[in-house]
Amino acid sequence: MNVAVIKTKAEQAIPELFEKVADTLPGGAKAAPARREAMSRFAAIGLPHRRIEEWKYTDLRTSLKDALAPATEAGLSAEALTAALGPLAAVAGDRIVFVNGIYSAVLSTKFDSSGLLNVAPLSEALASGLANLGAIGADEGQNAVLALNAAFVTDGAVISVADGAEIDTPLLIVNVRAGKTAQSTATRNIINVGTKAKATIIEMFVVAAGATANAQANSATEIKAGDGAEVVHVKCVSDAGEVSHLSNWLVGLGTGTVYRGFQFTSGTRVTRNGINVTYGGENAKLDMSGAFLARGSEHIDTTLVVDHAVPKCESRELFKGVLANHSRGIFQGKIIVRPDAQKTDGKQMAQALMLSPDAEFDSKPELEIYADDVVCGHGSTVAEIDEDLMFYCQSRGIPPGTARALLVQSFIGEALEKIEIETLRDALTSTTLDWLDETKA
Amino acid sequence: MLEIKNLHVKIEDEERQILKGLSLTVPKGEVHAIMGPNGSGKSTLAYVLAGRPGYEVTEGDILWNGESLLEMEPDERAAKGVFLAFQYPMEIPGVAGLTFLRTAANAVRKKRGEAELTTPEFMKVVREKAAKLNIDTEMLKRPVNVGFSGGEKKRSEILQMAMLEPTLCVLDETDSGLDIDALRIVADGVNALRGPDRAMLVITHYQRLLNYIVPDKVHVLSGGQIRKSGDKSLALELEKSGYKEYEGEAA
Repeated sequence: MNVAVIKTKAEQAIPELFEKVADTLPGGAKAAPARREAMSRFAAIGLPHRRIEEWKYTDLRTSLKDALAPATEAGLSAEALTAALGPLAAVAGDRIVFVNGIYSAVLSTKFDSSGLLNVAPLSEALASGLANLGAIGADEGQNAVLALNAAFVTDGAVISVADGAEIDTPLLIVNVRAGKTAQSTATRNIINVGTKAKATIIEMFVVAAGATANAQANSATEIKAGDGAEVVHVKCVSDAGEVSHLSNWLVGLGTGTVYRGFQFTSGTRVTRNGINVTYGGENAKLDMSGAFLARGSEHIDTTLVVDHAVPKCESRELFKGVLANHSRGIFQGKIIVRPDAQKTDGKQMAQALMLSPDAEFDSKPELEIYADDVVCGHGSTVAEIDEDLMFYCQSRGIPPGTARALLVQSFIGEALEKIEIETLRDALTSTTLDWLDETKA
Repeated sequence: MLEIKNLHVKIEDEERQILKGLSLTVPKGEVHAIMGPNGSGKSTLAYVLAGRPGYEVTEGDILWNGESLLEMEPDERAAKGVFLAFQYPMEIPGVAGLTFLRTAANAVRKKRGEAELTTPEFMKVVREKAAKLNIDTEMLKRPVNVGFSGGEKKRSEILQMAMLEPTLCVLDETDSGLDIDALRIVADGVNALRGPDRAMLVITHYQRLLNYIVPDKVHVLSGGQIRKSGDKSLALELEKSGYKEYEGEAA
C-alpha cells in the first residue's frame, strides 16, 4: 500500500530536530553519511501505524504526538544512581553507565582491556574506529524505529568477548534518565560474544528522582553470539511517567549457541519491545522470555520474530503480563521455519493475568512453517485471579490483599524463574510487589 | 468446642441441598471422625467450616468457642484457629513454600496479637517441624506443592497445620493417595498435634486412617445428616458392613 499520508506533527518535527543536532552527534564526519541515510529512510517510511501488520496494535503515529529534543548531559551522583536503580542496585556486576544516553565515566566501572573482554562506550569506539558507524543501520530495511535510532544514536555499549573467554561477572548496561527537561534518547549496544565464550549482559532502564516524566527512549541492541557461546541477556525497564520506550533486539546465533534472553517491563506509557532472532547454525538453543506489568492506560507491546533458517534448533518463549485498569498488553510471536530447517523444536506461550475487566490483552502467535519434520507449538491464555487459590491462601490466614499479591507473584514468578541470577530475580520480584502495592484496582 | 447446629447447606445458584440439618458437637481435646459414602456431604462440611465461597448456609449455625463462624472470611476463621487440610492441596507456582509458610504464619500471628516471627526464628521453627514430617527444607524452597507427589502434598499440608497452630483441625480425606509409609508419617504428624486445647475433625471414607489417628468418636454422615454416632468400633463395623444401611434419604 503506497498511499501518501499526511505527515504527523512528530514526523515533520523529527527531521528538523535532526538537522539541528546532526553535526554535534558522535562519530563526526565518518558517521554522518550513515546517519543522513538513516534519516532519509525514516522520512520516507514515517512512523509505523496500525495499517502495517506488525504495528497493528501499536500506532506510533497516534502515540508519539511530539518529537522531543535529544537529551543533554546531566550530572548524577553515585548515590542518586543507586537510588534510581532501586531494587536493581543489588545486582552485582561491572557497570557501564549512560545518563541521558551519554556515557558517564565517573559512574562506570574502569574496564581494562584484558584481551578477553573489551568494553567501551560507542561514542569513544566511534572516535577510535573500533566501531564502524558507517555500517550502523545499513541493512535494517523498513524498520522506522531502527532508522531513527541509527540517525540519532549518541552512545551505547560496545562489548566484545574473545573466543573461549568466560566472563563470570555480569555486565550491566545502565541507562538513567535525569534532569527536568523533556527529552529523547537514542542508544545502541553492539555486542559480540566469541566462539565458545560465556557472558551475561543486563540492560537496565531507570529514572533518577526528580527527572522529567516526559521522555522518549529508543534503544537498540545488536548481539552476535558465536558458535558454542553461552549468553544470558536481560533487559529491565522500570520507569514512570509519560514515557515511551522503543526497543529492538537483533540477535544472531551461531552453531550450538545457547542464548537465554529475558525482558522485564514496567512503568512506561508506551513500550514496544521488538525482538528479532536469526539462527546461523544448527543445534542452537534459544529461550526468550519476559514479564510485563501495566496499569492505568499503559501499553506494552512485545513483537518477536524468530527465524529458524537452519535445521535442528530449539526455541522457547514464555511471556507473562499483569494488566490492571485500562492497560493493554500485546504479544506478537512470529516463528518462521524455513524449508531447510528440519527438526526444528519450537514452543511459545503468552499469558496475561487481568486485574480489571477493562484491561485488554492481544495475543497473536504466527507460525510460518515451511519444513515438514518439525515440532512447533504455541499457546496463549488470559485469566483472572483464581478464586480457588484465593480461598486456599485465605484458609491459611492470609488476608485477601496479601493473597492477591501472592498469586500475582505466583503468576509472574513462573516467568521470573527463568532468570538464574538470584539477586536479579529477587529485585524484579520486589519491583513486582511494589508495583502491586501502588496499583489501585 | 465446635458446635454445628442444624446446618443446611446448598451450592449457590443450585437448588439441591447437600447438608440437611447436620448437628454435631466436638469438645476441645477430642478427635472425631466423620465417615460416609461418596456424595454424602463430607467435603461440603469441610469447606463450609473453612468458609469456601460458593456454598450457601440456608439454615443453622456453626459455633466455634461460642462464636459463629458463618459471617467470617476464611482468613478470619484461620486466625480464630480453624484449619482445613485439603483433600487436594493446591499448587501455587512461582511462590516458594517457605515464603508461603512465613506469610501465613505471620498473618495469623498478627491477627492473634502475637509477635511476628523474624527470619531466623521462623527458619528454626520450620526446620524442626519439617524434620518431624520428614520434609527436607530444600523441598520448601520449591514452589508450593508444584511437582510434589501425593504424599509430599499431604505432608506439606500437615506442616502448614503445625506452623499455624490451629485449635480446630479439619482433615479432609487426608489418607487419600497415601501409601502406608506416607500414611504413618502424616498420622504421626497429626497425633503430635493432639492436645487438650485442640479439637479435630477427621473426614475419611475408609477406616484405615483411624488405625493411626484413633478417634474419640465416629459419626456416620449420609444424606446430609449424621445418621449414627459411636466410639471407634463403629468404624470397624462400617469397614465390614459398608454404608449400605445408611444409604437413601433420612427419615
